[in-house]
Amino acid sequence: MIFNYVYSIISAFILSPLSYIISFIIIAILAVIVTALIPIFIGWVDRKYAARIESRYGPVYVGPFGLLQNFADLTKLLGKRFIATNIDWLSFNFTPIALATASFAMLLIVPLGGPGLEFISIPYSLLFIYTLLAISPLLLLIAGWGENNKYALIGGFRGAAQIISYELALIVVLSSVALLSGSYSITSIVSSQSAIWYAAYLPVTMVVFIIAGLAIIEREPFDVPEASQELQAGWKVEYSGIRYGFFLIGDYVRVTVIAMLVTYLFLGGWNGPFISGILWFIIKTAIVLMIILTPRWVLGRPRIDQLIKFGWNWLLPLAVLNLILVELLVL
Amino acid sequence: MVKENSIRLNIGPVHPAMHGVLKLILDVEGDTITKAQTEIGFLHRASEKIAEMRYFSNYYPIMDKLDYVSALNMEILYASVVEKAAGIEIPPRAVYIRTIMAEIQRIMSHLVFIGSFGEDLGNMTGFIWALRERELLMNVVEKISGGRLAPMYICNGGMFYDFPQGIENEILEALSIIEDKVKHEYNAMFTKNQIFLSRTKGIGVLTKDMVKKYGITGPIARASGIRRDLRKVSPYLAYDKVDFNIPVENDGDTYSRFVVRVMEILESIKIIRQCIKDLPAGSSKTAVPWIIRIPKKDTFVKQESSRGEMGIFLVTDGADKPYRLKLRSPTFFAIRALEELLVNIRVADAFVIVASIDPVMGEVDR
Amino acid sequence: MVTLDKLKSGFKGELEVLTEEPKLSIIRIKNKKLIKKVAWQIKEEFDILYALSVVDYTPVFELNYIFSNYRNADSLVLKVNIDEKDFSIDSITDTFNSANWEEREAYDLFGIKFNGHPDLRRILLPEDWPGHPLRKDFKVDDEIRNWTGLDLKF
Repeated sequence: MIFNYVYSIISAFILSPLSYIISFIIIAILAVIVTALIPIFIGWVDRKYAARIESRYGPVYVGPFGLLQNFADLTKLLGKRFIATNIDWLSFNFTPIALATASFAMLLIVPLGGPGLEFISIPYSLLFIYTLLAISPLLLLIAGWGENNKYALIGGFRGAAQIISYELALIVVLSSVALLSGSYSITSIVSSQSAIWYAAYLPVTMVVFIIAGLAIIEREPFDVPEASQELQAGWKVEYSGIRYGFFLIGDYVRVTVIAMLVTYLFLGGWNGPFISGILWFIIKTAIVLMIILTPRWVLGRPRIDQLIKFGWNWLLPLAVLNLILVELLVL
Repeated sequence: MVKENSIRLNIGPVHPAMHGVLKLILDVEGDTITKAQTEIGFLHRASEKIAEMRYFSNYYPIMDKLDYVSALNMEILYASVVEKAAGIEIPPRAVYIRTIMAEIQRIMSHLVFIGSFGEDLGNMTGFIWALRERELLMNVVEKISGGRLAPMYICNGGMFYDFPQGIENEILEALSIIEDKVKHEYNAMFTKNQIFLSRTKGIGVLTKDMVKKYGITGPIARASGIRRDLRKVSPYLAYDKVDFNIPVENDGDTYSRFVVRVMEILESIKIIRQCIKDLPAGSSKTAVPWIIRIPKKDTFVKQESSRGEMGIFLVTDGADKPYRLKLRSPTFFAIRALEELLVNIRVADAFVIVASIDPVMGEVDR
Repeated sequence: MVTLDKLKSGFKGELEVLTEEPKLSIIRIKNKKLIKKVAWQIKEEFDILYALSVVDYTPVFELNYIFSNYRNADSLVLKVNIDEKDFSIDSITDTFNSANWEEREAYDLFGIKFNGHPDLRRILLPEDWPGHPLRKDFKVDDEIRNWTGLDLKF
C-alpha cells in the first residue's frame, strides 16, 4: 500500500500525528494527479489510434505528438457557458459529479501495476469495482430525466436497459474468477495466477468479460444510449462545459479500468519472466486496451433490441455455463 | 394531437443524422414509430423563378447548387435541354468528355452516399474512408475545371476548357485505387460486417408496387427489382457506344440500395475506362454565342442523375431567357415514400432508411 | 402508341395531338373536366405522373402533365388550359398516386386548386407565405421583404 510507504518515509523526519496528516495530504495530491493523468493519456492514445485507423493525423499541435491536446480541450470546456434551460437543477448537476466520482474511485482501488501499488486497499476490491460500475443505470435515468429533453429521456431509458442486461453477465463472470482463486481481492487473484493465467482455463469467460465490460461502459459498438447520430448524444445531449468534460474523463477512466481488470483477472497481472512486473503489466494492459479500443472504429452500432437480445440470449447463458464448469473444476 | 404514452420527436431540420434540412416528425411509442410526417422546403430558393430572369448561358451556377453532390450531372442535363431546344450539335469529343465527367460525378456522389450511410450506422471510419477516395476524384475535377463542389465546367455547345494534357492517366490511376478499395476494403468494412448486415437487411422494404405508386426512379427503384436505367433505355451522350451492366437487386431493403450503389461505382469505372480509350480527337466545343434566342416550343429532356431520373421541361417563347423551366427531381418523389416506410419500425432504423434514400435537399426543394 | 390511338378515337373533337414522336408525344385536351377520364385512359400504358409543370400565360394557365412508365423511355405530355375565372381542376391523385406532391407544389407556387386532393397544403413554402411566387405577376414587395417567418414565441 502506497500510504504505508509514504508514511514510513515521512515519520522518519516528523513527529507522529503531524506526519500522519502530512502523508495523508501527499497521498491525496498524488491520487488526484495520477487519476487525472491516466485518463488524459488514455484519451490521447484513443484519439491518435482512431486517427491512424481513419488515415488522419489526430492531435499534433499541442505538445509533443499532440500529447497535451486533452489538457487544452479540458481547459476550453472549463470556459464554456452554461446553456441548458428548464432543467432539474439537482439531478442535472448531481449526475456528472457522481459518475466521475464513481469512475475515479475505481482507479484508487485498482492496483497500478504491482502488489500494494493501490491508494486504498480493501479485501473485496473486485466487488467494490463492480458496484461502482453497476451504479451507472441509475445515474443515466436521473440524468435523462433531469435534462428535460426527449432525446435524453430515450437515451437514459436505453442506457438503463442495456446496462441492466449486461450487468448480470459481468457479475457471473467475476464470480467464476473469484471462485477459481478463492478471493475477491485483486492482489490475491493475481498472485494465484503465478503459474498459469486464468485465460488458459477460461478463454470464453474472458471474451464474455470484455464484451460485457464494453457494454457497461457504453463503448462502441455498445454506445446505443448515446448514439451520436440518431439521439444526438443520448442522455448527455444537454450537457456542456465541464459537466460534459466529467463524462468524457469518466469514460476514459472506465475504459482503462476494464483493460486493467482483463489483465488482472485473466492475463496474470504483473506476473511474467525476465523483466520487472510493472513492465509486464503495462505491456499486457496496452495490448488489451488496443483490442478494446478497436471495435469502436471498425464496427457499426447495433439496434437496442438486437443488443439486449444478444445480452440475454448469448452472453448470460455462456457466463452461467462457464460458472458451472468452474464449479466442477474447483470441486 | 399527440396520443397519450407517445412522444413526438421533431427530428431536423438541423440534426446530425439528417441529410440536409429534411424534417421528420415522428410519433414514438416506446421505441416504435407509430406515425411519420415529412416536412420539406427549408432549402427552397425558387430556382425555377431564377431561371426566368437569366440568359440561357447564365443558369449553370444555379444548376450546380441543385444537387450539389452531383453538380456535373445537373450541368450536363441543363446543357442537353438548351442544346436540344436551340438545335445545337456538339462535337463527338465533347460528348465523350461529358460522359466521363458525368460518371466521375456519379462515383463521387455514390462515395458520399456510402460514407454517410456508414456514418448513420455509427461507423465513422467508413465515412472518412469514402471521403478519402472521393478526394482523389475531387482533385481530378479541380484540375480539369478549376472547381471542386460546383465546377461550372459545362457550357452551351460543349465545355469551357478541353481536358488538360495527361489528365487521362491521372483519372485512370485514381480509378484503379478506388476500384481496389471498393472491392476489398469496403467489403470488409460493410458487406462482411455482421452488425452492418443485421442493421440493414430486411429494413425499410420498398416493394415494386410501392416504387410504382410513388414514382420512384434511379438506384432506389433498381434495388427493388425494376430494371430501368435511362442510360440503357434511351441512351444519351455516349452511353450507346460503351458496354456496361445495370446492377439490379430484388429485395428492396436498405441493404440492396447500398449494394446497388456500390455496384454502380464499379460500372461507372468501366464506362470511364472505355470512354478514355475511345476519346476522339478534335474540337471540344461548338461556338455558340453567349446570348441565344430559342423560338417558341416545349422541350423535355430526362437523364439519369446519381439519385434517379432528373428531368427538365423547358418552355421558350423566342426570348433570350426561358419562359418557364420545370425541374423534375427524383428525390422529391422518393422522400414521399418515407411517410409509409417509417411506420412500425424502431427509431434507430428510421435514420438508416432516410440515409438509404440518399436525399440531397438542394434538389428536393429547388 | 396504342393509348394515343384509343384516346384519339375516344375523345373525338376534344383532343388534339400536337406532336407524335416515339419518345415524346404532346396532346392537348380542350375541356378541363375531362382530365380524370383521360388520366384513366392514360393509366393503361403509363405508370406514373412524371412531372406536372404549370406555365403562366395570363389569363390562361397551361398545365403540362408529363407521364412516363417503367418499361421504356416513352413520355406523354398532356396539356390542359385553365383560366383565372375558374382556377381549379380535378385532382388525378386517385389514378396516379405519384401526382400527390406535384399537385401540392402546383398549388403552392401557382395557387391552383385541385378538387378532390386528399391533402392540399403548401409544400415548399411556409403556410402563411403571401402570394404564389411562380406566377408572372408576383412582385417582391415590402410585405415579402419584411416577412420574418412564423411568429415564434421564445
